[in-house]
Amino acid sequence: MKLLKPSWVSHNGKPIFSVDIHPDGTKFATGGQGEDSGKVMIWNMAPVLREEDEKNENIPKMLCQMDNHLACVNCVRWSNNGLYLASGGDDKLVMVWKRAAFIGPSTVFGSSSKLANVEQWRCVTILRNHTGDVMDVAWSPHDVWLASCSVDNTIVIWNARKFPEMVTCLRGHTGLVKGLTWDPVGKYIASQADDHSLKVWRTMDWQLETNITKPFSECGGTTHVLRLSWSPDGQYLVSAHAMNNSGPTAQIVERDGWKTNMDFVGHRKAVTVVKFNPKIFKKKQKNGGSPKPSCPYCCCAVGSKDRSLSVWLTSLKRPLVVIHDLFDKSIMDISWTLTGLGILVCSMDGTVAYLDFSLDELGDPLNEEEKNTIHQNIYGKSLAITSTEAQLSTTIIENPEMLKYQQERQNAAQAGSGPGGAGLESTAPKLNSVMNGESLEDIRKNLLKKQVETRTADGRRRITPLCIAQLDTGDFSPALFNSVPILPGSSMPSQLTPQLSSDSSQGQASSLGLRPSHDTLLTSPPVKQSLLLTSASKIEPMKALDSRFTERSKATPGVTADGSSILKDVKNKEETSSDSEDKMAAINKNLSFTKRKADLLMDGGEVVEKRKKGRPRKDKMATPISQCYTNKVLLLLLLNYKLKDCVCVFVQVSMEPSVFLEVENDVSVVAGSKLSQLRCSRDGREWDTLLPSSVVTAAGSSDVIAVACEDRMLSVFSSCGRRLLPAIQLATPMSALHCSSHFVMALTAGARLSVWDVQKQTALVKNESLLTIMSGADTTVSQSLLTQQGVPVIGLSSGKSYCFNSSLETWTLIADKGDSLVQCADFRSCLPSHDAPVSSGPLAVMQGRNLNAGRLASRLSSTPHHLQQSMTLAFLENQLAAALTLLSAQEYRYWLLIYARFLVNEGSEYRLRELCKELLGPVHKSAATAWEPTTLGLRKRELLRELLPVIGQNLRFQRLFTEYQEQLELLRNK
Amino acid sequence: MAKVQVLNVAVLDNPSPFGNPFQFEITFECMEDLPEDLEWKIIYVGSAESEEYDQTLDSVLVGPVPAGRHMFVFQADAPNTGLIPESDAVGVTVVLITCTYRGQEFIRIGYYVNNEYTDPELRENPPLKPDYTQLQRNILASNPRVTRFHINWEGSADRMEDSENVDPAPNISGMLPPSCIPGKVPPLGLMPDNSMDCM
Repeated sequence: MKLLKPSWVSHNGKPIFSVDIHPDGTKFATGGQGEDSGKVMIWNMAPVLREEDEKNENIPKMLCQMDNHLACVNCVRWSNNGLYLASGGDDKLVMVWKRAAFIGPSTVFGSSSKLANVEQWRCVTILRNHTGDVMDVAWSPHDVWLASCSVDNTIVIWNARKFPEMVTCLRGHTGLVKGLTWDPVGKYIASQADDHSLKVWRTMDWQLETNITKPFSECGGTTHVLRLSWSPDGQYLVSAHAMNNSGPTAQIVERDGWKTNMDFVGHRKAVTVVKFNPKIFKKKQKNGGSPKPSCPYCCCAVGSKDRSLSVWLTSLKRPLVVIHDLFDKSIMDISWTLTGLGILVCSMDGTVAYLDFSLDELGDPLNEEEKNTIHQNIYGKSLAITSTEAQLSTTIIENPEMLKYQQERQNAAQAGSGPGGAGLESTAPKLNSVMNGESLEDIRKNLLKKQVETRTADGRRRITPLCIAQLDTGDFSPALFNSVPILPGSSMPSQLTPQLSSDSSQGQASSLGLRPSHDTLLTSPPVKQSLLLTSASKIEPMKALDSRFTERSKATPGVTADGSSILKDVKNKEETSSDSEDKMAAINKNLSFTKRKADLLMDGGEVVEKRKKGRPRKDKMATPISQCYTNKVLLLLLLNYKLKDCVCVFVQVSMEPSVFLEVENDVSVVAGSKLSQLRCSRDGREWDTLLPSSVVTAAGSSDVIAVACEDRMLSVFSSCGRRLLPAIQLATPMSALHCSSHFVMALTAGARLSVWDVQKQTALVKNESLLTIMSGADTTVSQSLLTQQGVPVIGLSSGKSYCFNSSLETWTLIADKGDSLVQCADFRSCLPSHDAPVSSGPLAVMQGRNLNAGRLASRLSSTPHHLQQSMTLAFLENQLAAALTLLSAQEYRYWLLIYARFLVNEGSEYRLRELCKELLGPVHKSAATAWEPTTLGLRKRELLRELLPVIGQNLRFQRLFTEYQEQLELLRNK
Repeated sequence: MAKVQVLNVAVLDNPSPFGNPFQFEITFECMEDLPEDLEWKIIYVGSAESEEYDQTLDSVLVGPVPAGRHMFVFQADAPNTGLIPESDAVGVTVVLITCTYRGQEFIRIGYYVNNEYTDPELRENPPLKPDYTQLQRNILASNPRVTRFHINWEGSADRMEDSENVDPAPNISGMLPPSCIPGKVPPLGLMPDNSMDCM
């Protein structure tokens, strides 16, 4: 045996309460008192083990020190996988540390020591629950749980897979709990406390298995710690301080019946710490010795207040070695190397000692396989712990499909960024390079000038700090999606650009250009300005409409024409403006705009702008319920227009097939009554009909044309001019009229809504009052539309949008612009990478750009992550439900995919499972099931098939993935 | 444990004429998103004798602070000379940077400051009435004294009862928290050897 006291391992003379060797044996941690705080230090093992390394100046001794604990650190423990270090202290906290890879050496600011930290360990979690000093912490086998005990008499079991989640709190001790040890098999955890008891708890139900008091009845509560230990074969539990015939002992408790017949005696004062060697040994086979298999045995080190250390082999009646006067004060902690041959001991006197044993002294350690065999022989196959999965990173991929998705994901990650949604991500490397090296210096030089300083309402200075690095370890903040220097205070990235260095601003701008969800106004302000200069006044309202209704259209060629324009002219313009929605951005569109302006002026003031759209009907009602009979200027009615004295109005109502509607009031007077003419041109074929009263408003779709007259009559014609219904008499004048496929929607000045299915000749909505939704003094209808599926949607001036659900016969809220969920929901990371966002469906139309702003605002919001997660979840579920109510299949599919991605990212298994279950439906048909195979015309199982790759991206859900993939395969083959 | 760790404070524009503004470039790291702003203060200790000569040069809110590493420059005007006792104008004093969260101070960084005449003539025979235009301020940037206080970072609960939470008096001895166990922190009287020559 060799003994060494490395003098350089010290906390500046302050007590060292705990020591633990890293599982890989290359470093060890000490915990204790710091200058004015608790201190955790991590040391290099090599200089302890080898003299030449100790002398080599280039080999660091101290790797890291953390003085984050506010009071003395009582215990440090490495996780079994070596990734984490847990520390518990007098500040009632347990901190879990993880190594941060990317940061270089640094010092603790203000510490007297100028030693740099070679490794960076960062606190990833703080576990707060104890109300008193934390005395001991222990990781369970396989790092499933972390246990901590405290002078508050409790033991807390933490979920080590999901910090800071608490599994349970074990209550029952009536004194300070000073030591913990897990059963190596994982079935029990044992604790020893000042209340003269040792308690064993079951991990199955966290109930007390046994309470051992007899050996401790004579004990006084005089030791600082009571670190007990379980033997590696699980057969013996050895307590710290116990008494036998008024002599201090370490009590041996047998697993079998919790018998207390044996103890380790000989120490003159209380035993503070017992630590089993992690290895099981067998007798060293001497050359030529008998091959008789000897019984395996364990090795145990016992430290005491009497400052001495004893090492025992369970095969011997006497200790292997006893070392007296190793320290000046009580021994506080012991740690074995994983090889079982080295041992570190620390003391209250602030020093540590290292003991090195040889195989001759201890015997031959069993390898892991042999150790497992022993475990299996004793406990059978039912090792409690095997039911829990190993670390995810080491999880074996069980399914080839899963492997495929995982590989795809890796490839995608390597490619850096996919198209579309990855736009912002692509700027990250650029900015990282800016952040590194000299560029950081550049930033620093100009920090004072660049930093954003504002004044608060009460006139105080407020500085927005420059974010220079994200935390690499925690998932604390989705806001730190990229390590983009965030200069909050500006809600849009484009406003960031002038504040950043030039190259980064280019990156930002170009990435914005890539993002399909951004509207063009934001990205190309110069273009917008030039447009405003050339055709100022007329463009303004157009733009208002554009931005309101069409964030982006799927290349729906739109055209505008005047009443007197002839068809050819219209078609010409159609050719020049290939995409009416994007015309704001395109400079060459100036021409067509100005030309139109001229046309309008020639028209003698009768301005009727017509815009046609193939898909959902949209309109704007200047003054909603009260009918407005504006004489001359009818502003920007999409498809829908009101007129009284106008002589002639012309509108295109449908693109495919192209349908134009022309109304001429007062064409002739017959027997004192004025006749109006309705002319319709469909694919070049025209028809016309006469109406006995002035047409007030008209609307059409590819299937039907509806016309409301001054005498409150509503007439409906087929696309070929056949009258489909007799004139419908309305109670009050028509306020808004919409047609969409074969549905007709009428909103009257009496605030009543009706929707008819012309094909089936039934009413979907029967004269429903809007009063339900129009509560509040001055809410007015600001928008109304009818979807292709015949769902009427009403947008109110309060920012809320409702649709009438005819199956539920109620109004349902589908969008609320004041909804704070929208502002806070952050699902950016879940946006599909290649699909353009669906911005043309009724839901998108009603929610409008608000959604975009919310997505950006969430980057800067300081909402805690868990809250934001819940808000995002709630928001996405709202979207799904709204899309479902609106019967908007494409939007439903779009939000379903985002929702699934979010669930996968956040690991919400229950919701995900329920979703999959609903989509899969019953595998075997039975009459009792009410499951519908389709939703909104989308086949649910097809949707599930689409979701599977998303689920496959998270290895955690591979079981779920496999389960549903197999069932889908099964169903397909049926 | 503190959610905010000060990683570094760089003293900019140092040494500098007495009238120049103070500039500290502060780098800190935050563990979690902070719902409220941090409040930073620079306090100039006018006289070691009494805290009544302490001047808060400026206080500034810093936020929003998401999790991560951040930096900013805190600039504050030079102290009002009218508030400094003439006898204490020249010589060693202290400037303090404090940071509070929800009204609770959790860190106090103290620097020794030496104000002296650059002109050897003036140094030999300092005028009775200090000539601030000739004074040079030298902050001993290499030797900050950092005191951390335990505060309640969660806003909802009532403030922690610890005596540690009592804000230390902004006095020259205030670089030590009043509740500090003696001996835990090196006494301030122990000036580092490499400090400026004291009068």
